[in-house]
Amino acid sequence: MVNWEYSESIESQDIVSIKDKYQNFVNGKFQQPNSKKYIDTISPSSEEFLSKIVISNEKDVDKAVESAQMGFEKWTNTTPYERSKYLFKLARLIQERSREFAVLESLDGGKPIKESRDFDLPQVAANFFYFAGWADKIDLSWGAKSLKPYGVVGQIIPWNFPLLMLAWKVAPALATGNTVVLKPAETTSLTALLFAELCEQAGIPDGVVNIITGDGTTGSLIVNHKDINKIAFTGSTQVGKLIQKSLAGRDVGLTLELGGKAANIVYEDAAIDQAVEGVVNGIFFNQGHVCCAGSRLLLQESIHDEFITKLEKRMQTLRVGNPLDKNTDIGAVNSKEQLNKIEELVNEGVSDGGKIFQTECELPGNGFWFKPTLFTDVQPSYSIAREEIFGPVLTTLTFRTPQEAIEIANNTEYGLSAGVWTEKGSKILWTADKLEAGVVWANTFNKFDPASPFGGYKESGFGREGGRHGLLSYLKAES
Amino acid sequence: MIEIKKTYKNYVGGKYVRSESGKTFTLSLKNDSFEVPLTSKKDIRDAVTASKKGFQNWSHISPYTKTQILYRLSEMIEGNKDSYIELLILGGSTRNQAKKDIETAIKNIVWYAGFADKWEQVAGNLNPVNGEYFNISHQNPIGVVFSLNADNNSLASLLNSILQPLTVGCSVISFSEESSIVALKFAEDINNSDFPDGSLNILSGQFENVYEDISKHVEINLVSINKEVPTEILTKIQENASNSVKRIIYMPSMDGISSVLPFLETKTVWHPKGT
Repeated sequence: MVNWEYSESIESQDIVSIKDKYQNFVNGKFQQPNSKKYIDTISPSSEEFLSKIVISNEKDVDKAVESAQMGFEKWTNTTPYERSKYLFKLARLIQERSREFAVLESLDGGKPIKESRDFDLPQVAANFFYFAGWADKIDLSWGAKSLKPYGVVGQIIPWNFPLLMLAWKVAPALATGNTVVLKPAETTSLTALLFAELCEQAGIPDGVVNIITGDGTTGSLIVNHKDINKIAFTGSTQVGKLIQKSLAGRDVGLTLELGGKAANIVYEDAAIDQAVEGVVNGIFFNQGHVCCAGSRLLLQESIHDEFITKLEKRMQTLRVGNPLDKNTDIGAVNSKEQLNKIEELVNEGVSDGGKIFQTECELPGNGFWFKPTLFTDVQPSYSIAREEIFGPVLTTLTFRTPQEAIEIANNTEYGLSAGVWTEKGSKILWTADKLEAGVVWANTFNKFDPASPFGGYKESGFGREGGRHGLLSYLKAES
Repeated sequence: MIEIKKTYKNYVGGKYVRSESGKTFTLSLKNDSFEVPLTSKKDIRDAVTASKKGFQNWSHISPYTKTQILYRLSEMIEGNKDSYIELLILGGSTRNQAKKDIETAIKNIVWYAGFADKWEQVAGNLNPVNGEYFNISHQNPIGVVFSLNADNNSLASLLNSILQPLTVGCSVISFSEESSIVALKFAEDINNSDFPDGSLNILSGQFENVYEDISKHVEINLVSINKEVPTEILTKIQENASNSVKRIIYMPSMDGISSVLPFLETKTVWHPKGT
C-alpha cells in the first residue's frame, strides 16, 4: 500500500504584524473612533485572539461620510488619467505585498493559504489593474454621455472573500469617480485595514477611501445615512431585502449581490472525470463559503451511481486542516455562528431522510471545522435542496430529460450561477440559454475574472460586478 | 342624428375585456366624456397570467421578426393618424401639438423596431479574461413589466413607457389613468399588429387601487413608473418590492442604450478552450 500522507508545509506567519487594536481609516489616516465598543477578532482555525476592532457608531459613520464627501470634491477635480494612475499604483502595491495579505487572510478568515495566495490575491491585484484602465475611458464604455458617478458610495462586504470583495467594490467605484465608505465584515476586517495602509502608501487623496469597522448596526447606519448616494452590498438575501426596504422612497442607488443555490447539471454525455473535478471545486472551494457555489448537483439518472462512487472517492482525498499548511484543501469554517448554521441544516437534511456521506478525516481540536459532506436520496422540497447552506455540503438531485433539468435548476428564488457539463456543444448553448442565472459555467466552475461580469437574477440581487457591465453599478443615468 | 360612441375596454391576453368588477370611471375630455374600465386587483392578476404567457411567446420570437412586428405597429398608427389627432385634440392638445405627438410616437416606434435586432450587439460583449476561456456576456429580458403611463394624453409618452421593455422581449402591462382613452385606442393597433397574445396589455384605472398589489405580486419582475407619484406611495411600492427583490424604476432614462438596460439581466457564460 502506497502511503499518500503529506508532510506538513506551514507558511510562516512572520511576514504579518498584527496590531493589538485597530482604528478606523478616515480622511486619509487612521483615527481614534468615537465608539468605545471593541470586539475581538480571532483566528477561526485556532480560536486564538488576533486583534480588536471597533464597532463604529453613528458619529464614526457621520465622520466617514463627511470625509468621503470632501474626498469626492478632490476626486472629481483629479483628472481621469491621474485617477487611473492611482489605481495602477494600488495594483502594484498589492502585488508587492501579496504574500503578507495572503497569510493575513488565511489567519483571519480560515481559508487555505493555497487559495488566498493563488486565487484571492492575484484576483485582487487583477481587479485594480483592470479598473485602473477604465478610469480614463468611461466615455467609451457605454457610449452614453449622461452617465455620471453617484458621489459617496457605502459598501458593505462579506467575510468569505474579504479582500477580494473589497477589490470588487473599491476598484470600480474609484475608477468611475466615486468615493467610498467601506465596512468589512466583523469577523474578517484585518486585510481591509492593511489595505488602508496601502492607500496611505499610494497617496490616494484624503477621503477618497474610508474604511470603518463594525457589525450589522454599523452597516445599517451607513445604509440609513442621509448623505449616502449609493449602497453596494454583498451578503445574504435576507439582509439585502432589508437594505432595499430601508432605501424605499429615497434617491439612493442600490446594487445587491446576494445568495445563491446553484445547480450544477451533469448530463450523461459529460466527460465524467472532468465533471467530478468540477463538481468538487464547485462546492468545496473556500469551504463552500461561496455565494455562487454549485451546491445542488443535478445528475442525469443514468449516471447517478457511477458518478456518486467517483465523487465520494475524490472527496475522500480532500485534506481538511490548518489553513496555513500549503497542502490544505479545506480550511476552517469562518465562525462558530456559521458552523452552527451548517450543522443545523445538515441535521435537518438527515432527519428529512437524506442519505449522508462524510469523508473520514481527523479534525483539529480547536477552531471551527466541518467535514466535506454529500447528500443523496434528496427530495427537492428538503431544506438542504432549497436553502443556502454556505458550507462544504453538496446536495444531489436527479433528472431524466434536459427539460426536467432546467425546471429543477430554475425552481428556486435564487439565480446567481449554474453549471452545465456535457460534451455536446449545442446542448451547452441550449441549457445556458434557459438557465435563469447571472453566471453559467460550462464544463468548468467557479471561474472569476475582473473582466467578467458577476451578479444574479431574481432574488440573488441586481447589478453586476466586473467587466464593462460592472461600471454601470457605479454610474447613474442623468436625464 | 345620434352619434354612435365607442366603448373602450381593457386589452388583456389579446382580447378586449371589461373589468371583472363591472366598475368604470369617467374620463372627461374637452367636450366629451367616456366611461372606461376601473381595473380591479383581480384584473391585475389576470393580466399577469396573460403576460407570463405572452412573455414566453414574445421573448422567443427572433429579433428579426420582432423588428417587423414593431415596424408593423408604426404602419398601423400611420394609417390611423387622423383619428389619433382628433382624440388628442379632444384631450386638450392643439392640432399642431397633436400632429407632432403622433409623429414623435411613430418615429420612436421605428427607432426601436430597428433596435430589436441590435441591442444585444451593443449591450453584450466578449470578455477578455485571463486564461484559456471563451467568455461572453449577453442579456435576457427580465420578464413581466408593469408600466405606469404619464397623464399627459400623449401617444408619444405612452410609447416611451412601453417600447424599451417590449423591444428587448419583455411582456408589458401598461396602466394608464388620465391618458386612458389614448391608451385604450392604441390597443386596437396592437390588436391589428402581430404581437403574441399577452405580450402587450393595456389597462385603465386608478393607480392608488392597484399599487399595493402590483408591488407585492412576485410574478411581476419589474415596475416602471413614468409619472410622478407621491413619495409615500413610491416608498410603499419599494418597500413591498423588497420582499422579492423586485426591480423598481422611477422616471427612467430615455437615453439610447441606457433606456433598455433596466429591462435586461446580464448572463455571462464561460467555457474552456482547448480542453
